[in-house]
Amino acid sequence: MRGFLISRLAHALPAAWVILSVIFLLSRGLTNQPTEADGSLAGNLAVHVTTPTQNRLAEYALRKRRGLDLPLFYVSSRATPASGGVAWRWRWNGVHNQYHVWLCGLLRGDLGRSFRDNQPVTTLVSRALTCTLPLTIGAFITIAGAGWGLTLLLAHYRSIRPVVVTALHFLQTLPLFVVALLLLLLLANPDFLDWFPAYGLARPENSTTGLYQLLSSLYHSVLPLFSLVLVSLPSFVVQWHNALQQELKADYILTARAKGVRPSLVIRRHALRNALLPAITYLTDLLPALVAGAVVVELIFALPGMGRLIAESAAARDFPVVLSGVVLIALVRLLAQILADWLYYQADPRIKLEA
Amino acid sequence: MRRPETRRLWQRWLAILWLMALVAAGTSATMLPLPAPDAPDLRAITQPPLTPSHWLGTDLAGRDILAGLIFGARTTLLTSVPAALSAALLGTFLGSMAGYWGNSRLRVPAVVTGWLVILGAGASCISLPTPELVWWLGLAVLGGLALWLATRNKYAATWPVPVDKLVLLLIAFLTAIPRLILVLALAAVQEPSQLALLIVLTLTYWPVTAQIARATMQRIRHLSYIEAAYTLGLPNWRIIIGHALPSIWNSIKVTLPLGVAALIGIETTLSFLGVGLPPQTASWGRILATARLDPTAWWLIVFPSTCIVFTMLALRQITFSSQQE
Repeated sequence: MRGFLISRLAHALPAAWVILSVIFLLSRGLTNQPTEADGSLAGNLAVHVTTPTQNRLAEYALRKRRGLDLPLFYVSSRATPASGGVAWRWRWNGVHNQYHVWLCGLLRGDLGRSFRDNQPVTTLVSRALTCTLPLTIGAFITIAGAGWGLTLLLAHYRSIRPVVVTALHFLQTLPLFVVALLLLLLLANPDFLDWFPAYGLARPENSTTGLYQLLSSLYHSVLPLFSLVLVSLPSFVVQWHNALQQELKADYILTARAKGVRPSLVIRRHALRNALLPAITYLTDLLPALVAGAVVVELIFALPGMGRLIAESAAARDFPVVLSGVVLIALVRLLAQILADWLYYQADPRIKLEA
Repeated sequence: MRRPETRRLWQRWLAILWLMALVAAGTSATMLPLPAPDAPDLRAITQPPLTPSHWLGTDLAGRDILAGLIFGARTTLLTSVPAALSAALLGTFLGSMAGYWGNSRLRVPAVVTGWLVILGAGASCISLPTPELVWWLGLAVLGGLALWLATRNKYAATWPVPVDKLVLLLIAFLTAIPRLILVLALAAVQEPSQLALLIVLTLTYWPVTAQIARATMQRIRHLSYIEAAYTLGLPNWRIIIGHALPSIWNSIKVTLPLGVAALIGIETTLSFLGVGLPPQTASWGRILATARLDPTAWWLIVFPSTCIVFTMLALRQITFSSQQE
């Protein structure tokens, strides 16, 4: 088990490192171009009341504070005009470069400071996580539970199958933001059914009890949760259902039926466990997908969570925040994959744990 | 109650009809007598449908919804379909290369690699200032020596290129992060433009096709007709293009509509979030985004959602009916 974990990490961590490095270098490399810096930085300064020299000084100070005055990478190349064309000159920059500083900070758990309001990124991220984690974990548990129930229902009652499967196929085609908007239009509309709040979190009030606050925050997260579940549940149920139907054709099911096991027990004890493997794959893909789905849901329902933080900082080119969001999601993905392999082993001990 | 076959046929024709209408609307968008999709009509703000001169109503800024939908169809046709096609091409190329060459079948003469390294080192030496020149020169000499030793050995005269491993590694990198987040991070880096979005979508979607192409190639590589072509002494590129690609293309073709559907989903989501496409480009997602400002304007949600849902359902229907044939 420990050997398996170590070898998995040894494979997955370099992959995560490379993709993060590529995104870091791309984002910094493209924003370091002078025109880009002029456009984004000059907007923050009062351009028309200062002299150009003051502007340049202020810009330099800003770049220095953000650490953008250092060279980007260990090696930099510069095109210099030479006789008959352009010569590339390579320069070794040593460890005083943005990439090295960023990587060392990452290893220490320091994600840098936001470009927008200069707050530490770790504060921003942890504040956002307190909103996102309950939502995603709740959605995950609901999807797993409802998927289990629905698959069993479909296996038991043949007559509802065509209707439910058609409905699931229909739901599967809808993008998440359409589902969320339709839910808003139907259930949080003052002109139609005004059952749920359209946006926001529960307001913390001192006079109320803890239980009331819990209920209130649950009430506020019904629609976001429901839209996440509605989008992810159909493909899960369809996959699990198909796997279950395949398993029910196997010989050991015939044996179980022949020796007189009750039909419900045949499904639950015999077939369901063997049909579990595709379900595990799906559930582990679901965790990062839920984080991505949270981007849309949090924007629509105005929740101050991780997805909204990533989307807004991507739009504002606040790269330290975007990068740390990506780091976090890549880590979740990594853990989910390792968890999946372990769960495979638990579900089917014939599978060998190997990287 | 109709027989299932008739119903399926009917559904299929309905799907084809909808897609053809979409293509017709998209291609003729500039010729139709419509207001420009980003031109506000300030006398008619937030009008419900069926008002004169605005059949499907207007949004908060007075932009015509019908024009937005038709120009949005044009944007979808010009972004999602080319992106799906180019992703399919790139994925087929890389996937079939990985499947055909495997990890050891493609061998490059070590001499070629050696000359490339020496040439590169020499070129960089010329452009370097003097003190580092000595250092680089030493490195180049050492590398050349090592290569010369390697090429002298008979067994190392050619080096295997692990094509399969390289492609799988690339796929692993790209799938380490959910596609929406990756596209969001990449789209934020560059200026929003249709071409940039197309490139980003292609670069993030090709692994899906590549995995199918790789699996198919691995399956058919050991079939007797490929072996026969190999034994006849046909060059590799003729085996790949003339013998393997037709059957790979058969399995890719089926998944193409689903790819278009997935990319339409990403494109509309990105426009909804306000990333990727320039702000004046009409898109179904952008109309839906304006609906957030006025939740009671049901027509801002219903019409674009209907377009998206019908398109997705039609593409799925075509996929399934071609799978059943």
